[in-house]
Amino acid sequence: MLFNSLTFIAFFILVLALHNAPLSWTTKKTNLLIASYLFYAAWNPPFVILLWISTVIDWHVAKKLFTEQVQSKRKVLLAVSVVVNLGLLGYFKYGGFLMENFQVLMSMAGIDYQPPDWSIVLPVGISFYTFQTMAYSLDVYLRRAEPSKSFLDFALFVTFFPQLVAGPIVRPTHLLPQFATPRVATRQQLYWGLGLMTIGLFQKIVVADGLLAPASDAVFGATNMLHPVDAWLGTLAFSGQIFSDFAGYSTTAIGVALTLGFGLPDNFRYPYAAIGFSDFWRRWHISLSTWLRDYLYIPLGGNRKGNIRTYANLMTTMLLGGLWHGASWTFVVWGGLHGVYLAAERWLVARLGHHDVWNKLVARVLLALLTYFLINITWVFFRAPDFTTAWRMITTMLTFVTSGEKILPTVLVLQTVITTAVMLAIHWWMRNRRLDEVIDRMPVWLTGLLWGVMLMLIIITQGGSDAFIYFQF
Amino acid sequence: MPSSTSSSSESVDMSKFDRPLPKRQLRNTVIVAFVICVTLMTGWELYWRDFGVPASYRNSEGLWTIQRRRIDNGEGDKTVLTGSSRVFFNTQLDVWEAESGQRPIQLALEGTSPLRIMEGLADDDDFTGTLLVGVAPMLFFSGFEYRQAVVDRYGKETPTQWLGQQISMPFEPYLRFYFPDYALFQILHRQDWPVREGWNSNIVLDVRKLANYRKDRNARLWSKVADNEDYRNEARMIWESGFVPMDERDDAFKTMALEGRATQIERAVTATKKLHERGIDVIFVRNPAEGHYAMSEPMFNPRAETWDVLIEKTGALGIHWLDHEELQGFYLPEWSHMTGSEADRYTKALYHVIQRELAAHKNMQSE
Repeated sequence: MLFNSLTFIAFFILVLALHNAPLSWTTKKTNLLIASYLFYAAWNPPFVILLWISTVIDWHVAKKLFTEQVQSKRKVLLAVSVVVNLGLLGYFKYGGFLMENFQVLMSMAGIDYQPPDWSIVLPVGISFYTFQTMAYSLDVYLRRAEPSKSFLDFALFVTFFPQLVAGPIVRPTHLLPQFATPRVATRQQLYWGLGLMTIGLFQKIVVADGLLAPASDAVFGATNMLHPVDAWLGTLAFSGQIFSDFAGYSTTAIGVALTLGFGLPDNFRYPYAAIGFSDFWRRWHISLSTWLRDYLYIPLGGNRKGNIRTYANLMTTMLLGGLWHGASWTFVVWGGLHGVYLAAERWLVARLGHHDVWNKLVARVLLALLTYFLINITWVFFRAPDFTTAWRMITTMLTFVTSGEKILPTVLVLQTVITTAVMLAIHWWMRNRRLDEVIDRMPVWLTGLLWGVMLMLIIITQGGSDAFIYFQF
Repeated sequence: MPSSTSSSSESVDMSKFDRPLPKRQLRNTVIVAFVICVTLMTGWELYWRDFGVPASYRNSEGLWTIQRRRIDNGEGDKTVLTGSSRVFFNTQLDVWEAESGQRPIQLALEGTSPLRIMEGLADDDDFTGTLLVGVAPMLFFSGFEYRQAVVDRYGKETPTQWLGQQISMPFEPYLRFYFPDYALFQILHRQDWPVREGWNSNIVLDVRKLANYRKDRNARLWSKVADNEDYRNEARMIWESGFVPMDERDDAFKTMALEGRATQIERAVTATKKLHERGIDVIFVRNPAEGHYAMSEPMFNPRAETWDVLIEKTGALGIHWLDHEELQGFYLPEWSHMTGSEADRYTKALYHVIQRELAAHKNMQSE
C-alpha cells in the first residue's frame, strides 16, 4: 500500500480509530500486526509468507542463541538466520544478476551458457525488513541485547507497517521496548505526526514526482548526446528527486508512527548541506549507514587495525552498501565512488584537517558545494539504466561539449533550477537546526498557512500514485 | 547485558524513544491550516465549475479494469467495443442499447491500439459475444499505446489499486477539479512559456480534456470542444503538433513504419482467427475523420496497403465510413470526434449498417 494513495488514507483512519478505541494493549498490538500484514499484502498477498519465514526463523534462532553457550553452536544458529534472510534477498533480488554475470564469465571462458529465464517479481521492501530482522539475531549473538519475551511484539517489530517497506531500518533496541507498554499518541503527538505526514507527502507528491521527476526522467531516458546544461539539470533534478522521494517516505513513516504514539528515529538530516562525506553519511539514510557501520564495518575491524585495513573496510562497506541498493554494477560503482570519497577525505583530514581555515564560513560553504558536486557525480551512476548512459552523461557534464541536444523545455528548466536552489538553501539553513524548534519560533498564522498550502498543493497535484523509488531496493 | 531488546520495560528509559515535539501547542496551527486548505480548495473547485467542467468520472485505469472484468464475471456474451478514441467517443451506449436491447461493454482506449485488448479477448474463453474493433490508422497500424498502463493493469491489479478505485469513484462526479487535465503540473506545463533557444520544440502536446465519462465508460464529447472556438482550435493544434510529413521522414523511419504495419496486421489476423474459431463475430470499423487527419492518415497509411489488407487477411467484416453513405456527413469539431448529438445519430446509423453488413457477410461466407 502506498502512502500516497486513497487506500492508505482509508486504511490509516481505520487503524488510528482502532488504536484509540478502548481495547486492551494486546488487542491493539494484534490490530497493528494484522494491519501491517494487510498493508504489505495489498501489493502482493503471497509475499506475506516471506515476512512470516523471517519472523519465525529469527524468533527461534534468537531464543536458542541466548541460551546456547557453546560458541560453535551459536555460530551455526547465527548462520541459519543469515542464510535464510540473505538467501531470500539473494534469490529474489540478486538471482538474475548472478545468472547474468555467470553467463558473462562463462562466455569469457569460451562456454556458451544460456541461463534460465529469471523473471521473478521482487518483493517490495525485502532489503529493508531482512536487514531489520537480521539486526535482531545479530544483537543477540553479539550479546548486545536479550531476545524479546513476546512473539507478538517481535512479529510486530518485523512488520510494523509505517517503516516496513522503505525504512527507517529500526533497531530492535529502539522499537521492541516501545511495544511493552501501552502507547497512544497525545494530542500534540497526533498533530505533529499529521504535520510530518503532510511534509513527507508534499516532498514525495509535489517535489519529487511533480517538480523534479519529469526533467530527470527525460534526461536519463534520452539516447542521444545531450547539451551539458540539460545533462546537469537532469542530474540535479534526480539529486533532488531521490532525496525528496526517500526522505518523504521516511518523514511520512515517522509521522504515521507518531500518530500511533511510537517514536521512530530520524533517517535524514538535511544531507545536501553536508560538509564532506562522513558528514553526508551522518545525514543521508542514517538508519542504513549506522546498520552497515555496526554490523559490517566495525565487525570487519573498523579503524582499529591500521590504515590499510581501515581503507579496505571502508571500501568493502560502501561497495556492499551500493549493491544493497540494486542488483546492478552501476550501484556498485555508486557505492565504490562513495568509498573512494570517504577514504580520500580520511586521508586529507589526517594531513590538512588541523588548519583553522576550514572553520571559516567561506571555506565551509565551498566544501559543502564541492561535496554536493561530487555527490551529484555519484547519482549519475545510481540513476542511469546502464554504463553507456552513465558515461555519456558524465562525459557531457565534465567536458562541456555543447553540440548535444537541448531536450528540456523552459518550464522544466525553471522547475529544476528553482527547486534545487530552494532545497539547498533550506538544507543549509536547517543544517544545525531542528524542525520542531523552528516551528516554535514561527508565528501560528505562518505555520498554519504553510501547512494549509502544502495540503492544497498535495491535493491539486493529483499524484498518480507513483511508487517510492526506494521500494525497488 | 542490556535488556533493551526485551519487550519488558523494567529497566528501560522509555522517554528516550519519544520524538522531540514543538513546545507550543499545535491546536491553533491545525485549525489555521485546515481553514486555509478548505478555503483554497473551495476556490479551486469553484474556478473549475466556472470554467464549465461538467460532472464526470475519471477515465482511469481502474475504471477500464472494472469494465474488462465484467467479461470474466458472467457478461462475456455481450458486444464488446474496443479501438481508440473514435469508437470511445462516437459510440453511445444508450443508443446502442436502445437499438439492440443490449448495452455493450466499452473497452476502447484513447490514443491506443486495440490489438492487445483484442489478443486478450481472443485468449479468454469467457468471451463469447461480438467484438467491434475501431481502426484509427495511425494507432492501429503502428501498435502505439498511449494508455499502455491501462492494458498492463488488467490481471495484475493489486488489492490496493482495486480499493483505491472503489474509494475514488464516489467522489469523482462531485469534484470538478479532480480530473487529470486540471492537475497542478499539467496546468503549469501547458502555459505559454518562452521557448528556450535551441530547444527542439517539435513535440506532441498533451491532449486536453475532450470528453465526459459515465461509470460504465460511456464517453461523450464535451460541449466546450464544439462551442468554444479557442478550446476547439487548441484541440486541433494539439492534433497537428509534432507532425512531420512522410516525405520529410528518413528511410529508417519509413522502413520501420512498413515493418511495424505488417506486424500489426499479422497480430490482428492471428487474434481474429482465434475468435472466429470460437464462433465470435469480429467487426473492424473505420470511423470518420476530417481536416488534418483526412490529410495525414492516407499519407502514412494508404487504404489499399492497410485497411484493405487487414480486411482481406482477417476475413472479418470491415465497415469503412467512406463506403457507407449513412456514416458520412457528421460534424467533427476537432476533426476526429463527434459532438454528443452527432454521436447519437452516428451510433444508430452504425448499428444498422453493422447488422445489415454482418448478415450479408455471413450469407456470403456460407455460400
